[in-house]
Amino acid sequence: MALLELDSLHRHFGGVHAVDGIDLCLERGELRALIGPNGCGKSTLFNLITGALRPTSGRIRINERDIAGLPAHRIARLGVGRKFQVTSVFDELSVADNLRVAQGPRAALPIDALLTRLHLSERRDVPAGVLSHGERQWVEIGMVLAADPKLLLLDEPTAGMTSPETAATVDLIRDIAATGDVTVLVIEHDIGFLERLDCAVTVMAKGKILRTGSFVDVRADAEVRALYFGNAA
Amino acid sequence: MSRWDAPPWLALLVFAALAAVPSVLGDYWTGQMARYLLFGLFAASLALVWGRAGILCFGQAMFFGVGGYAMALLTLGVVDIPVLADAWAALGLAVLAATLFALLVGVFLFWGGGISGAYLAIVTLALAVILEQLVRGWYTLGADNGLSGVPPLPVGDNPWDPRPTYYVLLAIAAVLYAGLAMLLASRFGVLLTALRTNPQRLTYLGYSVVVLRIAAFVIGGAVAGLAGALFVATDAFASPSLIGFALSAEVLIWVALGGRSVLLAAFLAAILLRVAESYLSEALGEWWILALGLLFMLSVALAPHGLLATPLLWLRARRKPKGPAPA
Repeated sequence: MALLELDSLHRHFGGVHAVDGIDLCLERGELRALIGPNGCGKSTLFNLITGALRPTSGRIRINERDIAGLPAHRIARLGVGRKFQVTSVFDELSVADNLRVAQGPRAALPIDALLTRLHLSERRDVPAGVLSHGERQWVEIGMVLAADPKLLLLDEPTAGMTSPETAATVDLIRDIAATGDVTVLVIEHDIGFLERLDCAVTVMAKGKILRTGSFVDVRADAEVRALYFGNAA
Repeated sequence: MSRWDAPPWLALLVFAALAAVPSVLGDYWTGQMARYLLFGLFAASLALVWGRAGILCFGQAMFFGVGGYAMALLTLGVVDIPVLADAWAALGLAVLAATLFALLVGVFLFWGGGISGAYLAIVTLALAVILEQLVRGWYTLGADNGLSGVPPLPVGDNPWDPRPTYYVLLAIAAVLYAGLAMLLASRFGVLLTALRTNPQRLTYLGYSVVVLRIAAFVIGGAVAGLAGALFVATDAFASPSLIGFALSAEVLIWVALGGRSVLLAAFLAAILLRVAESYLSEALGEWWILALGLLFMLSVALAPHGLLATPLLWLRARRKPKGPAPA
């Protein structure tokens, strides 16, 4: 059953067609990577799905529910978790309090189990603001997980991470998807990350979907290569 | 990391010292300190709204004044509802009036996208000025003269003895301080810190930023209204200066000087600055306001967390070397 359905979605900023007719369908438990050059509309797409922006036209359905006109916090309550491109955590709060806030009053998962899973047990009482960049990324991923999401939108989750941290993040994302309950859509540029993630890849260009296929097929695709390296390559 | 903004033992120490005031300082100062306690409570309400929730309200005296005027109108029988002429019933209704007024203003300010930052400060300032002008021109409210002869709280047998009233007000202040401190240490308090520092993240975790802002604003309004109602009963006088710009700016200075992020610092700063004003305004005359301004500038430059809160935050950072002082 489709968890996320985008139906000829458009978003225009004046004359700029940032998202220009996207049809996309993600099944429950599916893991999908979204790539494309800067300015191709990936982040706008995330903003539309999470309610930060309203579509110019087209439809977004989450769990078969049309989310048109819902404010962002109501969409989040439908189980849409979002990790921002620029790490967004509560710097003054301890790591544990960050997760508690994310969890809401009806705690599903014990905080300690989550901390262990994130390798942050020793940092539980430290303000998130003093952590390293990679650790802060993990706190934010932990927060969206703590909220018990149905749909996880990750915008460059490994930006600025060391390669062991990146590898651990890939494993974590694969674990999440392997449970079958959480649908994951992840924006990433890092080729090593995509290769390791080993999932279907959707390529966006100029607000449209150019190609969807396995990492190997997409990498070999002439049009995708032209997109990234120019026709001369 | 402890969620208490000031250690509970320190708060106990402060209230114990305040309990000793009547036997140490005598009747005159006991009467004065009774009023200052209420200014302290008023400052604590702004510390919650501004320091914790990040809502820079430049018109907090609106709620102090609404509470005060409601108390005066009911106990003087201007609004003649015999059941509510009883001081305690009137107090309850005055708090309710301030709470509902804060809800009205809060919805107006925050609904939809709402406003924040400097715009919020300007709009709340304008509202306070408008409200003061309204009261100054309203005959039923005594206009410029205010309402005098407000009956005192029915405490003790001898109306000339300030001590019973002082102890009752101190008990109310202590209970409310403890309540607010516990509220800020609770999940709700954590959410308010989250609200101040990163409202966007909170939205995408499924929280309504509007509801949280209004909630903080209304709680602050209710506490300010209670302080105002008790003040008018203690001072026997509701004047337009209680509701407008001047007191709003003053409470902001007390809270900033004490430390807006620490409830106890704001509470204590209001009391200490009023005491200092009583002493120094005689010695310095009109220069007092200049001295206060200079102190304010020094505090902003040298101790932006507040003169009382900075040592507290410094102590906490030293005890927990991993954790820096919160901004």
